[in-house]
Amino acid sequence: MWQKILIAIGLGVVTGLALGDSATLLKPVGDVFINLLKMLVVPLIFCSMVMGISKSDTKRLGKVGLYALGFSAVSAILTITLGMGVVTWLGLGKGLHLVASGVQNAQAPSIADLLVGIVPKNPIAAFAEGNVIQVIFFAILFGVSLNRLGEMGKPLVNFFDVIANLMFRMAGIVMDLAPYGVFALMAWATGSFGLGVLLPVLKFLVLYVVLVFVYAAVVYGSVLVTLVKTSPVRFIKALSEALTVGFSTCSSAATLPFTIRAAVGRIGIRENFANFVIPLGTSLNLNGSTLFLGMAAPFIANAYGVDLSSQQLIIAGIMIIFATFSTATIPSGDLLMLTIVFSSVGIPFEGIALLASVDRLRDMFATMMNITANVTSATWLAKVDGSLEETKTFNEVATVVVEGETK
Amino acid sequence: MWVKITIALVGGIIAGIMFGEHTTLVKPVGDVFINMLKMIVIPLVFASIVMGICKSDSSRIGRVGAFALLFFAVNTLLTALAGMGVIYLFGLGKELHLVSQGGVAQAPALNFTDMLVNIVPKNPIAAFAEGNVIQVFFFAILFAISLKALGSIGKPVVDFFETLAHLMFKMAEYVMELAPYGVFALMAWAIGSFGVALLIPVLKFLLAYTVLAIVYSAVVYGSVLTGLAKLSPVKFFRGITEQITVGLSTCASAAALPVSIRNLVNLGVSENFASFSIPLGMNFTFNGSTLFLGMATPFIAYAYGIPLSAEQLVLCVILIFFTNFTAAALPSGDLLKVTVIFAALGLPIEGIALLAGVDRIRDMVTTAMNMTSNSTMTIYLAKRVGELDEAIYNAEPVKVTEGT
Repeated sequence: MWQKILIAIGLGVVTGLALGDSATLLKPVGDVFINLLKMLVVPLIFCSMVMGISKSDTKRLGKVGLYALGFSAVSAILTITLGMGVVTWLGLGKGLHLVASGVQNAQAPSIADLLVGIVPKNPIAAFAEGNVIQVIFFAILFGVSLNRLGEMGKPLVNFFDVIANLMFRMAGIVMDLAPYGVFALMAWATGSFGLGVLLPVLKFLVLYVVLVFVYAAVVYGSVLVTLVKTSPVRFIKALSEALTVGFSTCSSAATLPFTIRAAVGRIGIRENFANFVIPLGTSLNLNGSTLFLGMAAPFIANAYGVDLSSQQLIIAGIMIIFATFSTATIPSGDLLMLTIVFSSVGIPFEGIALLASVDRLRDMFATMMNITANVTSATWLAKVDGSLEETKTFNEVATVVVEGETK
Repeated sequence: MWVKITIALVGGIIAGIMFGEHTTLVKPVGDVFINMLKMIVIPLVFASIVMGICKSDSSRIGRVGAFALLFFAVNTLLTALAGMGVIYLFGLGKELHLVSQGGVAQAPALNFTDMLVNIVPKNPIAAFAEGNVIQVFFFAILFAISLKALGSIGKPVVDFFETLAHLMFKMAEYVMELAPYGVFALMAWAIGSFGVALLIPVLKFLLAYTVLAIVYSAVVYGSVLTGLAKLSPVKFFRGITEQITVGLSTCASAAALPVSIRNLVNLGVSENFASFSIPLGMNFTFNGSTLFLGMATPFIAYAYGIPLSAEQLVLCVILIFFTNFTAAALPSGDLLKVTVIFAALGLPIEGIALLAGVDRIRDMVTTAMNMTSNSTMTIYLAKRVGELDEAIYNAEPVKVTEGT
């Protein structure tokens, strides 16, 4: 499957280059594909998390949740520090000499507001709005309560079991369309993309992509080698389908069905465990986003000649952590988070426009990094919890079976 | 749990006095609690109404059912009106001048026909998503009646909603575990921002509630006994003292159930009848709760300076009527019911913090009153169907004490 997607990406880029602006005609095909995936996000997250929790030992899951938070916090701090450090050290953006018009309207929400916002006032509204973090919160509470009902909860457990399976089956149908969707999305993205917008931020982009790869190779690589004791190369290979889809859709939530399939079918994380950990990680492990936000703050500050004190950088870093954690995972959501981070330390908002023009390109790499971070964390957690079926891990036979199913 | 809440209340008051404005820092803790309360309202209301209607066994209520329902309806109406009347008479809560965080969600002035039309949702899922409690009620009732009519075909769906209702009760229990923290944070914030004077109206509320509960019991139940049942109310009240003390200390009518039955048997009700009527009555004699709900709504509206229109008050009575289907068996269930009513009327739910702190004391009175109304109804019904031995009822009180 992933080879097909890779071919689709290649063909898409070629088509986009050949057709130029007229490649926008293909965009509706890509949009249908993305809509199909998004259609599944809320029910899939809710049902799979409820199933995962209601069939597990909640005490152990509580521990896993804490470990997941720990991994996410450490990784977020590392990426932010790396991003800020490198940009500040290189003085990136200093040559741009932009002038702010002085309009600064939005008020930064406080960290407390962000955290309170995780609790949905109305779960049905959270479903309707597709507020992923609120859905996750409600799903955890719902799953734990269902778990405690024991025998009495049987009808609901059966119900959600069926619905979860149904959603995965539906996802299977949609996933088969991936090559066509990916082709259209790539053709559109390449065709409508003028090289002109690249130039002012070219250095920024190149640096970002380099850091993404370096960080992924060093940090995830060493987690996999030392903690999970497995080969990073095989890990990436197992994940390649999810990565290519993530790359072209720019949404880790939309890629969720692919990610779960890879985690269960190719990496060997137990199904119930993956059903809980992977959706949770979708909103916890946004390393691609935190790295970007960490780089963007000093970059735009440099561009406007604003001097950020180390104290301000720390405030911005904290805001980044809470903003990424509590904001729903939406495409281009990183730009939204930029407004929160910028307003907290007084960086001109207009700077966002500079980055917005190339955001899709940047988001491709961010999404891949987010997915890798999520699955790395999930694999490590599964190993700690004993939910990694090591005999099955990266088993070529399993891969063949999964491949067979998709055809 | 109530010990913790009381400690939280006192701690919150002290913190509020000591730190003044700085207490806004802890307010998010209270906000989380309030959000979680709001979160459970819609699924809880829907599932528990469906369960309540589908599981109610109409044949078992039988011939006493009609009167029991009438007793329930009339008393609900009377208590709700009495509660509202007292608040309006004394203007309780007026001096509070609280300001709601989200700004006052002023419901647009609707005339009565519009209001009736708006009870019917155009789209039930939208009603759920918007948190339109009244529309959810309407749809839930229609849904449940249809489901019940389906008979055995509907069984899987009935099971589904029954389990969902239990699950939401479970979730409500978890949320209530946070009550001490929520009460502490909201109390500290409220006292810190508005001053200690805040407490006086709350205490007045509590006092008014207690007095009203006693007066209502004496007058209404007393006249049911003398007027309808032609029995001495003094003997009745003396006969139920024991169950009232148990109710006061446990705050749970269900826990006092065996004592209630024994008390009524001692008063001359046949054992069979008492052990059928008392548990049944527990499901719809919530006079203490309805009185509280009737008082709490205008009290909080006054506190936030939100004028309630006549239509809203009518709606409030209807809501009180139906919320008694929900959260019946839950500790602090009455607070959940207040949440439901506030959400339906657009009143600030933060206001609950004021009442939550003193909820245990309030609940003692409520339980006692609920039990008294249940016993009154049982005695009267027993007399009507010939299950009351008046010789025992009128015997010397010595008999009663012996029995206990």
